Amino acid sequence: MGSLFALGLIVFWDTYRVEQPAFNLTISPKVFPYAIATLLISLSAILMIKIIRGDVAVPEGMEAGEVVQASDYKTFGLVLASLLAFLLLVERAGFVIAASITFFGITVAFGNKNHGRAAIFGTLFITVVYLSFTKFLNVPLPAGIFKGLL
Amino acid sequence: MSNLNSLFEGFASALTLSNLGFGLLGTFLGTLVGVLPGIGPALAIALLLPITYTVSPASALIMFAAIYYGAMYGGSTTSILLNTPGESGSVITALEGNKMARRGRASAALATAAIGSFIAGTIATTILAFTAPTIADLAIKVGAAEYVALMLVAFATVSSLLGTSQIRGFISLAVGLVLGLVGADLQSGLSRLTFGNESAIEGIETVPVIVSIFALGEALYIASRFKETGWNIIPMKGKAFMTKDDWKRSWKPWIRGTFLGFPLGVVPAGGSEVPTFLSYALEKKLSKNKDEFGNGAIEGVAGPEAANNANAAGALVPLLALGLPTSATAAVILVAFQTYQIQPGPTLFLTNGALIWTLIASLFIGNALLLILNLPLVRLWVQLLKIPRPYLFAGIVTFAMLGAYALNASVFDVQVAIAIGILGFLFRRYGMPITPLILGLILGPNLELQFRRALQISAGDYSTLWASNLSKLLYLVLIIALLTPLLTRITRKLRRNSDK
Repeated sequence: MGSLFALGLIVFWDTYRVEQPAFNLTISPKVFPYAIATLLISLSAILMIKIIRGDVAVPEGMEAGEVVQASDYKTFGLVLASLLAFLLLVERAGFVIAASITFFGITVAFGNKNHGRAAIFGTLFITVVYLSFTKFLNVPLPAGIFKGLL
Repeated sequence: MSNLNSLFEGFASALTLSNLGFGLLGTFLGTLVGVLPGIGPALAIALLLPITYTVSPASALIMFAAIYYGAMYGGSTTSILLNTPGESGSVITALEGNKMARRGRASAALATAAIGSFIAGTIATTILAFTAPTIADLAIKVGAAEYVALMLVAFATVSSLLGTSQIRGFISLAVGLVLGLVGADLQSGLSRLTFGNESAIEGIETVPVIVSIFALGEALYIASRFKETGWNIIPMKGKAFMTKDDWKRSWKPWIRGTFLGFPLGVVPAGGSEVPTFLSYALEKKLSKNKDEFGNGAIEGVAGPEAANNANAAGALVPLLALGLPTSATAAVILVAFQTYQIQPGPTLFLTNGALIWTLIASLFIGNALLLILNLPLVRLWVQLLKIPRPYLFAGIVTFAMLGAYALNASVFDVQVAIAIGILGFLFRRYGMPITPLILGLILGPNLELQFRRALQISAGDYSTLWASNLSKLLYLVLIIALLTPLLTRITRKLRRNSDK
């Protein structure tokens, strides 16, 4: 898995290499990218050799709970879906709706049982955040369908 | 104008009502994120970066510095009472501190940690106030070529000394450098790695990257790999309090910790793990009560806590005087400076003197506030751990999305944030450290700029890069840093062989 990750990066860099050269400068803007590409390719090659020889990646430890051995991709997917919901909705439906859905999705993913309370609390919290950012900090956020109301 | 005068003026402007308010808010938030496991000061500051659009530079930086210091106070509280360090510098504190708490000495452990942090922070900030301008004065003469060498040294030390695997540290750095490349090249206008995406031409914003690599990466990782187990808080009676004997045993470790922590913060030695560990080892060696170590020796809390705080102040020296961050939190503070179009570095004290002296003065004030906030109120902070985890992470994630979007009101930044969040998950899953990536992203463009500047002056002659004595010295340090992990492995192997 770790080597796949490295492999992807190499491919990524190979596609880069065919880009057209730039016009004349003392130091071409391609020198630095090439140096990084070389570095990255050689490093991932070394890492792959190390992994094959038995250097297993150690997942980062955490303070907040017990490690589950295999990754739980259902909750992973749920978190990711909540993020994508924000991405798709923020400009269409507005910040309050998008962020409330994200908030709710995350509480479900993290094992919250009382869904009703989470939904109400989340929506209230997000509305307060929205109002304090737009009204007090003057950071504009999309109002979406509540335009003129909030 | 002498430094002392400037410092007094700094105090005057730091003590205005609004600046004091932001300082107080920062100490509060800092202690909060220190107490809560899973959120560190780097994430907290990154989440608050959007406020830089409306708040004045002085107020925002005062708040960020207060968060930086405050997280360390909060971190020691959870180390002692929960045996779960809230941040990396508190790992050592948990060793003895938690044992002390189990023996019913929680209040003494908390007191020596808080008072030690205060003393170390105050001494270290004083040294910072007088060394940083001097170093900046010296650094003004440093040319582009030497800067290239300096940055390479910072890259090498942070990548090889942090985490368990040198190669993974460097890969993390390289990924950060790649992210820094994206966008139009400043000198030629050539689009790099944009793949025809118009939004990408302006480059990847550092703020969404930092926010999402910490917040979203952590959320994805914890959601998919950890079960909630609940906390096991050791009950604590009364206030944080030390007996006469505790004072007698604590003050020397405080001082030793301070003078160990500060210099190791100035040189990029990879964060607070090294100095806190060294301080622990030193106290164990010097202590008269050796058998108490491992069962809750107060020296083992006092020394590392002081080292941790002094180290944090030390890390501000290269940040302010050279524009070189040596830790993730320092890197995020650098970004905060940059959003105000202020470039930390040798000229900082000349161009933004008043601001910097206000910041330094506010460090003293913040430290005093933290002592007041932490000694009597420790039990209040522990109550915070009762916030249910689903709500906590939901809050963090929505704030991260808000930060990513609000910066430019751009959906592209949100896309980048989600992609980086997945990258952050993969990094955690496969044991890659995150700090080198942040450093590469932030310093990479700067490195390229200095590199090309040096070569333009020399008309393309690469030998200019190692022409001066300073560069030669720096490259020597670089080689030592690269070989250190290898050498320790060899000596360990030799020792093991001789044991047989």
